[in-house]
Amino acid sequence: MFKDLDPILHSQLRLAVISLLISVKEAEFTFLREKTNATAGNLSVQIQKLKEAGYIDVVKQFKDNYPQTICKITPLGITAFEEYVKNLQSYLGTNT
Amino acid sequence: MAEEKFSPEQSLQLIQSMISRTKQNMSDNSIYFLIWGWLTFIAFIGQFMLKHVLQYEKHYMVWLVVIIGIIFSIYQGKKDEKKVRAKSWVDENMSHLWLGMGISFFVLSMIITRMGWGTEMYPFFIMMYGLGTFVSGNFLQFRPLITGGIIAWVLAIGSTWVSYDYQMLLAAAAILFSYIIPAYMLRRRDKINNQ
Repeated sequence: MFKDLDPILHSQLRLAVISLLISVKEAEFTFLREKTNATAGNLSVQIQKLKEAGYIDVVKQFKDNYPQTICKITPLGITAFEEYVKNLQSYLGTNT
Repeated sequence: MAEEKFSPEQSLQLIQSMISRTKQNMSDNSIYFLIWGWLTFIAFIGQFMLKHVLQYEKHYMVWLVVIIGIIFSIYQGKKDEKKVRAKSWVDENMSHLWLGMGISFFVLSMIITRMGWGTEMYPFFIMMYGLGTFVSGNFLQFRPLITGGIIAWVLAIGSTWVSYDYQMLLAAAAILFSYIIPAYMLRRRDKINNQ
């Protein structure tokens, strides 16, 4: 039976962010912005939503006197992403 | 990036495209292999020349060149840290592996000195070079490094049949096959991948 896709992840920008974070240890906000081609405002909003869902950790710090935002996927985020991909596969009939 | 609803097919495409974008972000590891490779290669050849050809007593002084490698690694490491905006697991694992290797070389030197094994140390060092490049090759998914590691292990065993002086030459050969040659090949691969 087809399961509903996680609405937190089934959004282009949030899914892009999670897909980027799944393959790295951590990434800066500027890196995510460059790779997703999103505007800073929109990206901030989506990152906040992922953070509220507990899917990512966000740390704000200073590096060489410049503010820096570091994002990192949480274990809950990894589980949610794996579940999302599994549901996608069962929806598309690609799993064996 | 638009926020409209999108299909499961588009979802999968998006995931694949984002994951491949992080792959382009791999940092250049070959520079460390090249610097350390050439430094140790020159040191081994230099030590052989000083000891075997020139019969110079303090031939081991040539190993002071390691200081250049340490200074370079610290400087380059700091430079890379500033530049890199996403820390990959590969980079994290590589830095831990080589920090551990550096400490192990130091510990091994201490053990050899304390135990008074003196001249029979190079097979151990060659074995360690093999370990470092074998594991790095796996992290970086780069076969020439893995092969280089295996060659170094073979040379480590082979070096037990020759005298101390010729162990230096075998160690230089191990460095050539496990560091220098794979590093140039890695550099070429990264250049092609980043085009």
